[in-house]
Amino acid sequence: MSLSYRIAYVFLRNLYSYKRFIVPTFLVSLVEPLFYLITFGVGMGAYMGAFGGKPYLHFLVPGVLVSAVMMSSSFECLYGTYIKIVHEKVYDSLIATPVSADEAVAGDIAWGSFRGLVSGTLMMTVALAMGVPPASVGGLVLLLVFLVFIGVLFGSLAMIVTSVAPSFDFFSYYTELVITPMLFFSGVFFPLDHFPPWMKTLAEFLPLTHAVRISRAVFTGEPAAGLGWSFAGLLVLAAVVFTISIRMMRKRLIK
Amino acid sequence: MIPLVTASGLTKNYGDLVAVAGIDFEIQEGECFGFLGPNGAGKTTTVRMIHCVSPVTSGTLTVGGLPASIDNRALKMMTGVIPQEINLDNDLTVQENLIIFARFFDIGRKEARARIAELLRFVELEAKAGSKISELSTGMKRRLLIARALINRPRLIVADEPTTGLDPQARHLIWQRLRQLKKQGTTLILTTQYMEEAQQLCDRIVVMYQGKILKEGVPARLVEDEIGKEVIEIRIPPEEDGKVLAELSAFPCAHERVGDTLYFYCRDGHALMRKLIELDLPNTLNRPATLEDVFLKLTGRSLHE
Repeated sequence: MSLSYRIAYVFLRNLYSYKRFIVPTFLVSLVEPLFYLITFGVGMGAYMGAFGGKPYLHFLVPGVLVSAVMMSSSFECLYGTYIKIVHEKVYDSLIATPVSADEAVAGDIAWGSFRGLVSGTLMMTVALAMGVPPASVGGLVLLLVFLVFIGVLFGSLAMIVTSVAPSFDFFSYYTELVITPMLFFSGVFFPLDHFPPWMKTLAEFLPLTHAVRISRAVFTGEPAAGLGWSFAGLLVLAAVVFTISIRMMRKRLIK
Repeated sequence: MIPLVTASGLTKNYGDLVAVAGIDFEIQEGECFGFLGPNGAGKTTTVRMIHCVSPVTSGTLTVGGLPASIDNRALKMMTGVIPQEINLDNDLTVQENLIIFARFFDIGRKEARARIAELLRFVELEAKAGSKISELSTGMKRRLLIARALINRPRLIVADEPTTGLDPQARHLIWQRLRQLKKQGTTLILTTQYMEEAQQLCDRIVVMYQGKILKEGVPARLVEDEIGKEVIEIRIPPEEDGKVLAELSAFPCAHERVGDTLYFYCRDGHALMRKLIELDLPNTLNRPATLEDVFLKLTGRSLHE
């Protein structure tokens, strides 16, 4: 892999180009998760009584927070990157400079991760405003750092899809068949306890399950079983997926 | 003198498709070297390999003594690319496009601002520094691409069909700027389908067809060697060819029938023209031979699609 500090230049390019509509795009990425919090958390939650000793909203917030990160970084590396490759030809102009194709892709994944982090931070602010704070300040800081890796993980996964996407429509396979099911089978909205064993096993293979577990532990302050494994697993997975995504994108970009 | 660019047996395959079929050429420092050819001849593929964005399949290609390989940063640092497709950053202003590009070449902010002011003057876009790309005409966009390609003060400029889609005024302005750069000692590599452009700018050209180099030389010499000085076009039905050719057999001109036209290629067309006037043939055109005639002779007059 050919990576250097030039990744920062690519990130900077994205920052420059987004500064004009930074507020609207970041707000839009908040709407969907907020929608979940209000409809499920406040609306439905009112009929659900205590959920592990606390209102349902407290259960919901940590999961919705990491899903917001997943959504933001995925969409950026699907649609955002595809537009830059096919429509705006940004990649063509980039790789004709000393910036390598690998750096261009890594810079975009970094950007996707950053957008995820911003969504996550905004969600955290909303959570605090709704009276759902993390258990400790230390935990909150750790969670924010952890969100960067979650952003890299889902940004890189999306990048793999983008590397083989023949058209825009292709992305709905990924969002509808992977992202949306993941949202419902990773314990974001309800605990996985009542799933049949095979579904529980399946859920263990979804990265979001582990991200939600970690996020929830930060909010409850109670370490869940296998938390360390979840954490280590996600970091390793992020590194592996990042490497694969760079290689696959190189195949698309260098001909 | 050591050439700046040397290719030997340079080959590029895309799967089963042979885009460039083992070509050899040398480009001297300070010259303008043109790649001519119809669509799909392999011109763009060749220059993409020269500026290190497309890997060489086989053969060797060196620029400034270094192998032109993917991610050869030293080469990319000294090369400016004027792309065929306008790939300016639409989300940024004219000025921002150049600032970001300067950054890609590790040029500091202060130095970048000075260079940008100078470059915008050079391409006559000073007044547009704060404009969005969408507010520029095609000619302005093409000029901005030139400014962008010059941000790193390149030793080598690769221009891939730099005047496609421009009106004559805009095209002439770009030609002037490219000639100015050459005067300053920059080496220029140009691909084009416009024969006039090649004649205006290039010291030497190669005509490419189906991945091979058919001819190499100085434009004016190529025209003279391949065609002669003048071309006479006679538009008569093919049935009359025999009769006319019999009348004109004494003249030392090559001839060719293409579609509705009988072409004569002569060193001196005057005598032939007088004879044609005697014969009272309508629809006759006498014109100087151009690179376009060479091009069409070498690559054939049929469509390349």
